Amino acid sequence: MLKLIESPFDRCLKCNACVVSCPVSNYSLDFGGPKHLGPELKRLIENQDLLDDPRVELCAICGNCDISCPEQVHVTDLIVQAKAIHSELSGTKFRDKLLSNPELIGKITSNLAPITNIAMKAKPIRKAIEKVMGIHSERQFPKYEFNNFNRRYKKKTANSERKVAYFVGCYATYNAPEIGDAFVEVMAYNNIEVAKPDQHCCGIPMLANGQFEQAKKNAKFNVQSLLKYVSEGYDIVATCSSCTLALKKEYVSVLGIDGAEELAKHVYDSSEYLRMLDEEGVLNKNLSPLNDNAGYYAPCHMKAQGIGNPAMDILELIPGYEIKDLAAGCCGQCGTFGFKEENFTLSLDIGKSMHDAVEELQPEYTVTECGMCKNQINQMTDQVVKHPIEVLAESYKKSK
Amino acid sequence: MFDVIVIGQGLTGMLTAIWLKKKGKSVAIVHQGTGKIIQSTGLMDILPGMDGTIEDLIKEYQIERWNDVFIKESIESFNMLMRDLGYPYRGDVGKPVEVITGSGHIKLTGLFPETIVPFPKKGNIAIVSFKEITDFQSEYVKGNLQKRRPELVIYSVNVSLGKNSNRTMNQLDAARLLEKSDVRKYVIAQIKKYFDKKVIDKLDLVVFPSVLGVMEWKTVLNEFEMEIGSPITEAVGMPPNATAIRLNEFLKKEMIRQGIRLYSDTTVISAKVEKRRIEKINIVNNKFNNLKAKNYVLATGEVLGGGLEDASLSNLFVVGATNDSKVTRYGITGGIYSILSSYEAVSMISGAYSHGNTIKGGDN
Repeated sequence: MLKLIESPFDRCLKCNACVVSCPVSNYSLDFGGPKHLGPELKRLIENQDLLDDPRVELCAICGNCDISCPEQVHVTDLIVQAKAIHSELSGTKFRDKLLSNPELIGKITSNLAPITNIAMKAKPIRKAIEKVMGIHSERQFPKYEFNNFNRRYKKKTANSERKVAYFVGCYATYNAPEIGDAFVEVMAYNNIEVAKPDQHCCGIPMLANGQFEQAKKNAKFNVQSLLKYVSEGYDIVATCSSCTLALKKEYVSVLGIDGAEELAKHVYDSSEYLRMLDEEGVLNKNLSPLNDNAGYYAPCHMKAQGIGNPAMDILELIPGYEIKDLAAGCCGQCGTFGFKEENFTLSLDIGKSMHDAVEELQPEYTVTECGMCKNQINQMTDQVVKHPIEVLAESYKKSK
Repeated sequence: MFDVIVIGQGLTGMLTAIWLKKKGKSVAIVHQGTGKIIQSTGLMDILPGMDGTIEDLIKEYQIERWNDVFIKESIESFNMLMRDLGYPYRGDVGKPVEVITGSGHIKLTGLFPETIVPFPKKGNIAIVSFKEITDFQSEYVKGNLQKRRPELVIYSVNVSLGKNSNRTMNQLDAARLLEKSDVRKYVIAQIKKYFDKKVIDKLDLVVFPSVLGVMEWKTVLNEFEMEIGSPITEAVGMPPNATAIRLNEFLKKEMIRQGIRLYSDTTVISAKVEKRRIEKINIVNNKFNNLKAKNYVLATGEVLGGGLEDASLSNLFVVGATNDSKVTRYGITGGIYSILSSYEAVSMISGAYSHGNTIKGGDN
């Protein structure tokens, strides 16, 4: 039986702020919307039998409802619970179980990397996958790296004065180990050694697909593993905005993991961490000029952290570097959401504001923290996409 | 360290932040959720909930320091901003006009977007509602309007958007649907059919709920005007009104494009005060943190807002509804008061404007 933790819903005044801000509601009439599937559904089933509402499948857990709520109702938490109930009562498709486990996919696929990357670009294979698995054939897939970050970096401890334990996340581990490399380099330029603790997928894709127990299992493992580092004086830093949000918020508010609250105090997004070093006056500012003109795309899970815009705060320190916020809404990829055959068109509809913003500002390339946002930007535009830490590493390297 | 931290992301907060940024200040907004702008009409009323003039506003709120020059400059600044953002407002705060509401009543307003047309005293009016939108019923609107304006000839028509929904649809859903050309064609055909049947050829105004598109409002408005061949207006009513959502979206986009830093889903829990100055504010979003600025603007509204309303703090500017409890007779402010109050705070912080009697606070 599911054990769900209390999340306050009675403060909801039905003001519609969440509905107005929900990217899925804005482009689909099939979705019940955050207000109905969050606080209202919870009100309905409180002290009664659980109610299975299949419309929750369309929630992408982007968190824009939480950002918009003036009454501090954690709408996403409530919908994640409704998703768990839906899976418990109606089961989960094999596809969704698979998609919810990027770590497993990453392990298998990166081992076979050269072949899988070619295969995922072959039309007949994609058509077959669409038919059997329900993953849309025109959806671009991120490439997988044989020489993944687990193969590249095995350091478990750090000996510098300030020490960082790096939560790599599935994307930087299996798809973009160059982000991990860049992170380690940037830290080295600041005399900080990086350790890579034992870790599993943060669990966000599991929550999005109703795999509550699996998410809890992963969260417990990560909290235990990372807390050991915290007790030894490490700061926990992540380069993926969804992982960061999970460690800061979801482990506490949805999953209620013991120790999660303590851990959250020590978790930083990579740019947020560098900004803190800058505020303390210890950031290495020996940055060489980059005469680039970039656009910044803020992932929803970055906005939800309420830390301003640390990526731009840091990149603006690079002499000559021009960066402008695209000020676009949700990209529509939303992790596993955009891979599903039935969501493909909706996913592109949602992404239109991102696409239009890129067209309007015409940056040389786009900077974003999220690998899934990158996937959608690559799908819908011809932009090169970089992680802020890669740009910073480039500037440091040039100044050597 | 910012030049200014604005607390609150409603109309007042966003206007203040954007104008300060344009004056070269580094600005952050700290906010817990959206502002009440989402529930507003998007119209700039002079005395919300009442019919009044700018003189009444000044008398009501005892703001004699807001002289004609200041008012003119503030309003021009707002109009210029909205024109630049692609959602222009018109009207004259010295001469408020009558507009129709979503319940068929007539009210006065100061500034209004181009999707709104002042309501005529006489003539032929048609009211169009959508079967799918329960918040706006043309027969009900007609009933109320006819009582107030017996001399009008009023037609009411109820058409369909032709789309099934898995939830109760609101005005914003209709506004987004009407941005699609096939939906517009379907709706226009039904309206034309009704007009042909009733042999109506000349209408002075066709009234819609607040649904004429969101960011694509111009395309939607032009096509309806051209196809129907009469002036068109939106009647603002039950939120969400597309008129307000557009205003919110355009301002928010501008704010982010200008590089204003947003601390979202974040609550201010306390402040460190030294010698009557706020040194820093303590905030929380899962994690505790603090932020520093030279000046702070409190734009949290009154009904559900409030907070650091200590008049003796020298670098705190309290704007909008938070300014004074007298401004919320019906629990509503917004509108012209928000524009003037924001503009005043901006003028004072940037040191560009001074007009004797000051609002609370005042460090440059």
